[in-house]
Amino acid sequence: MTYWRARTNTLVLLAGAALAGAVAARDAAWLDIAIAIVINALVALSVGLTFGQAGILSAAQGSFAAIGAYTTAILTLKLGWSPWLALPAAISLPAALGYGLARLVARLAPLAVALATLTLSAMVEIVLRSWDDLTGGYVGLAGIPTVLSGHPIAFYALAVGLLAIAVLVYENLMLSRFGRALTTIRADRARAMADGVAVPGLLSAAFALAAAMAGAGGWLYAHYFSYLSPGSLGTELSISVLLMMVVGGARTILGPVAGAVILGVLAQLLPAQEVQGLFYGGALIVILLVARNGLLGLVRREGAL
Amino acid sequence: MAYLAELAVRGVLLGAIYGLLALPMSLTFVTVGSIDFALGAYAVLAAAVGSTIGGVAGVAAGLGAALAAAAAMAAIFAGLKRVGVDEPITISLASFGLAVAIGSLILWVWGTRAFVLHSFDDVWVLLGIRVGPQSLINFAVSLLLLAVIHFLLYRTGLGRMMRAAAINPAGAELSGIPVTTLQTGTFVSGGLLGGIAGVLILFSAGLDFTAGLSLTLSGFGAAILFGAHGPLRAFLGGILMGVVEALSAGLASGAVSAMVPLVVIMVVLAAGTVGGVRFSGDRP
Repeated sequence: MTYWRARTNTLVLLAGAALAGAVAARDAAWLDIAIAIVINALVALSVGLTFGQAGILSAAQGSFAAIGAYTTAILTLKLGWSPWLALPAAISLPAALGYGLARLVARLAPLAVALATLTLSAMVEIVLRSWDDLTGGYVGLAGIPTVLSGHPIAFYALAVGLLAIAVLVYENLMLSRFGRALTTIRADRARAMADGVAVPGLLSAAFALAAAMAGAGGWLYAHYFSYLSPGSLGTELSISVLLMMVVGGARTILGPVAGAVILGVLAQLLPAQEVQGLFYGGALIVILLVARNGLLGLVRREGAL
Repeated sequence: MAYLAELAVRGVLLGAIYGLLALPMSLTFVTVGSIDFALGAYAVLAAAVGSTIGGVAGVAAGLGAALAAAAAMAAIFAGLKRVGVDEPITISLASFGLAVAIGSLILWVWGTRAFVLHSFDDVWVLLGIRVGPQSLINFAVSLLLLAVIHFLLYRTGLGRMMRAAAINPAGAELSGIPVTTLQTGTFVSGGLLGGIAGVLILFSAGLDFTAGLSLTLSGFGAAILFGAHGPLRAFLGGILMGVVEALSAGLASGAVSAMVPLVVIMVVLAAGTVGGVRFSGDRP
């Protein structure tokens, strides 16, 4: 019991997801939206970990998701692997790339790191568009095998399960000495170094963990929608999840997840797909001006959570 | 050899646009310590409005639209400062939001079509090298603006105030220099310069609603290539990037040439000369 008392975020998530699943299961369209929201939430959680805890503003989480998605798509389509066998690859390849990038730039000022992630994201997009033999170029990859294709509620449960594992890992990280070291780094880097924290190494590890979460999101995306093109994840998702994180609150663990839910539901009310960016960008600016710590940040300040 | 020379000349002319984008980028980087991610979006907005109205009125309206968008960014910056946010990363996050909003607005109003207008059909041959008159105009305009900004920064009182605010904001504030006003003005000037770049691209290669982010990145890459210290280096950075891109476009595939500005940015960032503040030194 004491184990779970310290890990309320995971329990809150599971309870909320079960409730949402019970409501959404009545309507196929809503269940579809709920699954998309959970996938977004997983990627948003990853950007929350990089920015809220490690202080790295990453504009590449969508690209890590794309790498995870393309990895599993290529392994299952071209090599005939089972999707379950491809899951570790879809998680570890983005993690390795994220670790490499972070090792390269983690010692720099925050703005330079943010630009490095944006640059990486632009590079990934070019590779996806131009490596025709492997990624299908502009056309993309179709016919990716689906998993648990019986009733969509089973896939919803799978997606929630992966998200809950990610939240639990995140929560355990923050409760461990590494989490405390991350908090120290954010507050005062010089102090953390004096305490003997291997700052670039720890930041890179946190970034790699976040990239792994995004890769898992990409795996879910590929095996749910069974179609991938350079536009399906990538830069657009990177931007959306940044906004979800800001809206929900970057410092709280469940903030990005709450942001994904709020924006995912609100986006259904928009008149056209084209105005989504207008709405997202506008909301980002308003939240930064009005509630810098996000909506969950407001709640926590009132002492409710 | 003549082919190589032609590629190099084409690169210099192309690089002038990058240099033009790098000017406001380095101005914002130096005076505010932040990046305006919406810079490329101002250029696309100016091109979109300019191509719809057409002619001289179109150019004026395009620049007006870009200025209005930059004024919105300046207002956001002032608002953020008022509520006590002055971390560069948050300001650039807000400008990222504005860039997304402008891109979406353009997609909504104009759709996915490309914006391009041609003012000249003939091609001049100088010393066996073919050049379009428009690219010479682009080069001349960029060079002129470089001269204007250089003069403004190093020969006027306004420029001295700007440089003081960049080097030591607190000290400048104490000496009676309106630092926030200067920084707000820098954002607005970004709209004018970005808008001019957009109009020039409109009359050359053209662009579409997706171009904003890559224009921002090109401008940023050019600005940091020789270190973000002043307009001349930023402009030269743009020229060098243009030459490398034109050479790789002529000798290798399109994907490789699109990679070039990105690789340049990555190498310069990894070398660790940008941003000034290192780990050990980031205590106030």
